[in-house]
Amino acid sequence: MWSSLILLPILVTALDTAIAHSQNRPRPGRGRGSNWWGIAKAGEPNNLLPLVPGAISYMGDPVTQSTLRRKQRRLVRENPGVLVAVSKGANMAIQECQFQFKNRRWNCSTRNFFRGKNLFGKIVDRGCRETAFIYAITSAAVTHAVARACAEGSIESCTCDYSHVSRGSPKGAGAPGGVHGVRDWEWGGCSDNIGFGFKFSREFVDTGERGRSLREKMNLHNNEAGRVHVAAEMRQECKCHGMSGSCTVKTCWMRLPPFRIVGDNLKDRFDGASRVIFPNSGSLRSGGKKSRYNFQLKPYNPEHKPPGPKDLVYLETSPGFCERNPRLGIQGTQGRQCNDTSIGVDGCDLMCCGRGHKTQEVVVVERCACTFHWCCEVKCKLCRTKKTIHTCL
Amino acid sequence: MAGTVLENLSGRKLAVLVGFILVGQVACFLIGGLIAPQPSTTEQILATKCIDTSNGTEEWFYVRGPKPCRKLDFYESPNEDQDIANDIVFAFQLPPIREKVMLDFSRWQQNLVGILHVDMTYHSEYKMAPRVVMSVNAKLGYQNKHDPPDKWTYYASSVEKRNLECSIEQKIDGYLYNCSIIPLFELGSLHHDFYLLNIRLPVNHGQNSDLGHVADMWLFAINQTGGFTKVWLSLKCIFFPSIIGILSWFWRRISALQRKPQVLEIMLLITALSLTLLNAPIELLTLKFDLPFMLLLTDIRQGLFYAALLSFWLVFSAEHLMEIQKKSLKEYWPYFSTVGIGCVSLFMFELCERGIQLRNPFYSIWVTDAGTKMAMALLVIGGVCGLSYLILLFYLIWKVFCNISSKRASLPAMSQARKLHYSGIIYRFNFLMIATLVCACLTVVAFCLGQVSEAQFKFEEHQDLEYTSAFLTGVYGMWNIYIFALLALYAPSHKRWPSQADLNLPTNEIEFSCLEPEPSEISSLTTFAKKTALE
Repeated sequence: MWSSLILLPILVTALDTAIAHSQNRPRPGRGRGSNWWGIAKAGEPNNLLPLVPGAISYMGDPVTQSTLRRKQRRLVRENPGVLVAVSKGANMAIQECQFQFKNRRWNCSTRNFFRGKNLFGKIVDRGCRETAFIYAITSAAVTHAVARACAEGSIESCTCDYSHVSRGSPKGAGAPGGVHGVRDWEWGGCSDNIGFGFKFSREFVDTGERGRSLREKMNLHNNEAGRVHVAAEMRQECKCHGMSGSCTVKTCWMRLPPFRIVGDNLKDRFDGASRVIFPNSGSLRSGGKKSRYNFQLKPYNPEHKPPGPKDLVYLETSPGFCERNPRLGIQGTQGRQCNDTSIGVDGCDLMCCGRGHKTQEVVVVERCACTFHWCCEVKCKLCRTKKTIHTCL
Repeated sequence: MAGTVLENLSGRKLAVLVGFILVGQVACFLIGGLIAPQPSTTEQILATKCIDTSNGTEEWFYVRGPKPCRKLDFYESPNEDQDIANDIVFAFQLPPIREKVMLDFSRWQQNLVGILHVDMTYHSEYKMAPRVVMSVNAKLGYQNKHDPPDKWTYYASSVEKRNLECSIEQKIDGYLYNCSIIPLFELGSLHHDFYLLNIRLPVNHGQNSDLGHVADMWLFAINQTGGFTKVWLSLKCIFFPSIIGILSWFWRRISALQRKPQVLEIMLLITALSLTLLNAPIELLTLKFDLPFMLLLTDIRQGLFYAALLSFWLVFSAEHLMEIQKKSLKEYWPYFSTVGIGCVSLFMFELCERGIQLRNPFYSIWVTDAGTKMAMALLVIGGVCGLSYLILLFYLIWKVFCNISSKRASLPAMSQARKLHYSGIIYRFNFLMIATLVCACLTVVAFCLGQVSEAQFKFEEHQDLEYTSAFLTGVYGMWNIYIFALLALYAPSHKRWPSQADLNLPTNEIEFSCLEPEPSEISSLTTFAKKTALE
């Protein structure tokens, strides 16, 4: 269904990536569209306030310059306020990833960001499960954050109606689109913001993933899976407001899900991700503009079902995350805390990969017995508690 | 015979008429389905958290404008200063900005309903009760297009208490509670271009002390769509003159008679008048004037029509009992009492809810315990009346059908021509009964479909037919066409004007003259009933 709605932007995308292709040579193997994650470190969101006349200056920010591709910079230029949303989204993705993986050997650690290096480290060079999750969660986060920013009014160019593709460009630049928007708004109201978030994420996140190589197909699939998870968790709410408040007239709307739910669902899909292989000849090469998202990956094990739109896919098995491996950018589990009573991955046996752990007793000073007001903690006591900490050797 | 038009209509003419009615009905349905957009639309607006530095309550806080408020992106770190909760203002500016254009409300959009939703985060240190009372200090202002951009005019304000019910499945820090929506305000007229809502959650004197961590606040603003209003008013502009036209024709027919109008005819007249009242496109006035009572007035007009229609059905069935004729409308008062009491209690409820909302748009009868009890009592009375009405109506209809079938049993004793004649009449009455039943059923089905609209509401799917609008216009058109057809078919026929002499004929003479047009003004089924009683 979406594929029919997105023809136009994909045309634009395809054209643009062809131009951008010659400039930005990516590492072999990795997809191309992953550098933008660095936007998470592009300064505090407070410095990027929308609607402030000087806000355009972020374009000169070296971080922005080095992380965004040409098309992404254009999108940012044409949609004032979107950079803050994307930056918030990237941070949200990192937080969510670290929350979901806090008890695993790979804990979604990010490195200090350097120019030209990847935020999540070299792990994204490999087409493994962890990479699949990173792509999905970041793409989902952009969808979520942009839709949210539309609702808050901090992106001015969110479109009114997404059901009519023919009407103007999705960037909504220029007066004609605006006039359409006003007319649509008066006649039938505007659609949910998720539509804009979804399409913006496709254009922004999927730039450069042209779907030529298998790795690019994997990235495209996982990006799309992330977005689908956001859209699928939309919740419907209704209100009756007919005669005397009866249900003769009832209005329903879709509410954006809490991002935590999206993270939970993606984590479930991570656990059940499917390994895929290069499909038979032809189907990959046939990449017309229309079929960019319209491909079917083949499961590695022919007896498994082919992956669905919500499934995460990966190409190769994950490396061991036990030992430090600078070549792959793996930190190792040395020094990580573990839980000696658990038999799961966070248990000391598995977490420390059999190297054993040391146990310390420490006294921690924590805030406790706080009384809350709805926004902020107001009064807390300081409690000293003894805690036993297990650390991997 | 004279009787009504229906009885004198040939089968072919009746078929043509029914054909036209069906075409009109389908047209009404399609106008709603193909032209009109959905009847109402929702805008989701996320609150901007502003910080009130001045401590002054008279100030307005807004995001878009010359002096936007100081935003609070994340709640500041633990603070001993208790006032921070009091200083946070949730600002909603509506309508939203789209495609770089500041949208404004059009007066075609008629009304506005505001619903709050709170994103409440779970904290293991502070657990929230599943049901808390939230105090909301809300202030609504408006601005018109040619006002200076920082001028907001006060519209209404109120400190309201609302019940908030929250549940959570996975009790882990950072997860969100699943909270109920909070209906906040209802504006009966959408007269101004921009609205601004400022909300505070004060924490003085134990207010809001049970509230959990409010991470975000959303406003869902529902308004009628301009397109739907336009289609609806166009329909009204078509129905209004046509019903008036047929009504005056009907009344001319009646007043041309020498006898006094019958109960059924008076009842039909009342129903048609109430429909005319409902059809009058007085909503057009809202395009020029600020009329907050329009929502209430529309409800009252609609209620009057339903009351008249329900009473009409009672009289219609009772008049065809073929027993003793009730001569005056006053004798029907025990019948009307079910409709009357029910309507009065619903009217009281309406006044308590939407009437008070005229003064305070944030008011809701459901928040206080006493109000809830009263509202429930009024609704229960209304429900009981509705139920007893239905029982009475179905009893009457059942009796009519019993009578008809018992009379039909005596048909074989009659001559062949008379038998055909009478079974034709019975057939046509049954036909109209069925038409009424079909109309009532369609309304119920339309209502039920509105209730299960969840199944039709799907993200990413765009439907070509707008079902909700189609059913609303379809049902509205149906009752108009129904009344139109009743007026046309139940008008006295003037195929042959009856003379006073004919009326004075003894009944057994009528019996022999009935192959010719029957010289009676009363409907021939009742004549038939009298005759069979004599036989």
